[in-house]
Amino acid sequence: MSGTEITRRPGRHSLVVSGVAGATAAVMVAAGSTTGAGVTVLGTAVVLSGVHTARHGVVDVGGLLAFVGVVFAALAEAPAPAVLLATAGTVVAWDAGTNAVSLGRQLGLEADTARPESLHALAGALVGLVTAVLGLVLFETGPTRQPITTVFVLLLAATLLLVALDR
Amino acid sequence: MTEDDTPRSDGGRSVDTTTAEADAVEADAATAAAAGADAPDAETGGADGVDAGVRPAESNATDAFARDEPSVEEDAEPGRRETPTPGGDSAEARADSEPAASTGPVTTTVRSATLRSTNHWVGFATLAFLAGGLGVALRSRSLLLAAVVGVGYLAYANVTEAPEPRLAVERTLSTERPEPGDTVEVRVVVENVGETVLPDLRIVEQVPEALAVTDGPARTATALRPGARMTFTYSVLARRGAYEFDGLTVMARNASGSRERECDLSTEPISITCLAPIDATAAVPLRGLTSPYTGRVSTDTSGEGTEFASLREYQHGDALSRIDWNSYARDGTLATMEFREERMATVVVVLDLRGAAYLQAGEDGLHAVDRGIDATRRIFNSLLDTGDRVGLAAFASESVWLAPGAGATHQARARDLLSTHPALSPTPPDERVYVRWQLRRLHQRLDDDAQVVFVSPVPDDTSTLVARSLQVRGHPVTVVSPDATLRDTPGHTLAAIERSNRLNDLRGSGVRVVDWAGDERLGEALERARRRWSG
Repeated sequence: MSGTEITRRPGRHSLVVSGVAGATAAVMVAAGSTTGAGVTVLGTAVVLSGVHTARHGVVDVGGLLAFVGVVFAALAEAPAPAVLLATAGTVVAWDAGTNAVSLGRQLGLEADTARPESLHALAGALVGLVTAVLGLVLFETGPTRQPITTVFVLLLAATLLLVALDR
Repeated sequence: MTEDDTPRSDGGRSVDTTTAEADAVEADAATAAAAGADAPDAETGGADGVDAGVRPAESNATDAFARDEPSVEEDAEPGRRETPTPGGDSAEARADSEPAASTGPVTTTVRSATLRSTNHWVGFATLAFLAGGLGVALRSRSLLLAAVVGVGYLAYANVTEAPEPRLAVERTLSTERPEPGDTVEVRVVVENVGETVLPDLRIVEQVPEALAVTDGPARTATALRPGARMTFTYSVLARRGAYEFDGLTVMARNASGSRERECDLSTEPISITCLAPIDATAAVPLRGLTSPYTGRVSTDTSGEGTEFASLREYQHGDALSRIDWNSYARDGTLATMEFREERMATVVVVLDLRGAAYLQAGEDGLHAVDRGIDATRRIFNSLLDTGDRVGLAAFASESVWLAPGAGATHQARARDLLSTHPALSPTPPDERVYVRWQLRRLHQRLDDDAQVVFVSPVPDDTSTLVARSLQVRGHPVTVVSPDATLRDTPGHTLAAIERSNRLNDLRGSGVRVVDWAGDERLGEALERARRRWSG
């Protein structure tokens, strides 16, 4: 039958969103560790290839790799704001990538998906920034004498509460 | 013009006259003087158009409108419409008929909806807590902070639910009655009539299966605030048949994309009806079986006609015009000339629409059933043209029967049936076709003197059985067989040989076979077959 076939993969626009977010993360990581920056760049590249070929698994692996770069930077005593921004950037790159893959698989290359994709990425970035700032402010002004484990337990409790509320 | 008119909802006149005013302003000085005389009329017409019920003399308004419109067309943009509205009647009819199609987006009803998790954030929690744990173990503040960000994302992913989309949809077709092969542009307007924001709305148009989308994807994604609307357009290639656009699949996700609601929406239906043209082919060769009425098929019976058959002794009562006066002049004996009688034939064209007949040679082009339906149409029309009585029947999932007949009404009815009958759709039937039952039914329906043109690609032995069964019951059968076989692989070649064997078997049983190759015109195939039969 003649007519356009559906190409089940995301468009070029998705690559830009993930690429920009990944690059931001890499720049932030570079403030702490060059090895970490390299790993993040590699992770971003894997994410992009996953987006281009519309494979969720590859995007996930890329996101994980990019985050390993961030861990490198954190362990190399990079400044906390840089680590936070890098984390947010990594998550946005991965999140936008998976979203683009699902859009590409559902609607195809030809459909115009720029608007919801940009919105999704923006919302993700905003959430990252807000939590990063909140965390930073709490950490700087809060009771720093407390053992670090307490904070983590609190974190866990908060998450469990959220999940419990949602279900 | 039609585009300008579509948004109006009530009393289209008011809109038209306002454009008349605007156009009059734009027109140059010389024509503005002429149009100026009309403009006040137009204005009053426009005012009345809104509350037409108040003013009793509505015919006046109609007159003013009818008088205005041609001048508007001439003044403003002559190229916009080729033919000006001929009179008030058609303008009135247009004004009446159009608002029905332009009431704006209509609220949809949900046929079915499923809510599911997209698994988008699965595994993210593990990573976040792993980072947190690592931060604790290695006493790294920044890593712990990174975990906090992760937890923030987890909250973002889990606290919201996929929104329930409440949408209003309007579809506009560039034409509702296209010719086959025309491109029909479909414009879809989707409006969020609900209270919630739809941050990620994916829309997939339910295009009728048989229509190919030629331009622009019939899918889109957007984000809609309450009250916001979006438009997308695509084009489909019209093909024979009646198709209805009445559904839309939407997937609405929450902002984080963790949850998704997929809805099958039922929209206001709008349909395309595409009738095949009335075209005939070369004369269809027919068999000897005929009806008692005069027609064009030469028979072996002697009597009145045009083709000389024999001479016989004069019998009392023979017409004077048939006496062979030459022989009387020669030897004084009276002899009567006999002619071959020319009779009318009754033909029923039977289509093979079983699932097995939906065969296609290669990837592109028409499949055998489409070609068969095309051939049926041509054969039908050309038989009607030659004065025979023609009927239609089919082996299909639904009953298809048009009793033999003649005349323009019959032709129109057949055209409609061949174009829009659901059993003749370009997609294979879902249900089983009960061939034996339908064959018995066909035997009952066929007149004794009816002959059959069986249009089938002869995909299996059932089709040969059908042809033979009709033949042995005294209905001479001509099989017109669109060839859908290829000979590029051993398997294809085998199928082609099998079909060719089946056709030969049919020929052996006295059935006439027209083997219609894919690259051949029907007329050529029929002509080739006719020469073989008469030779």
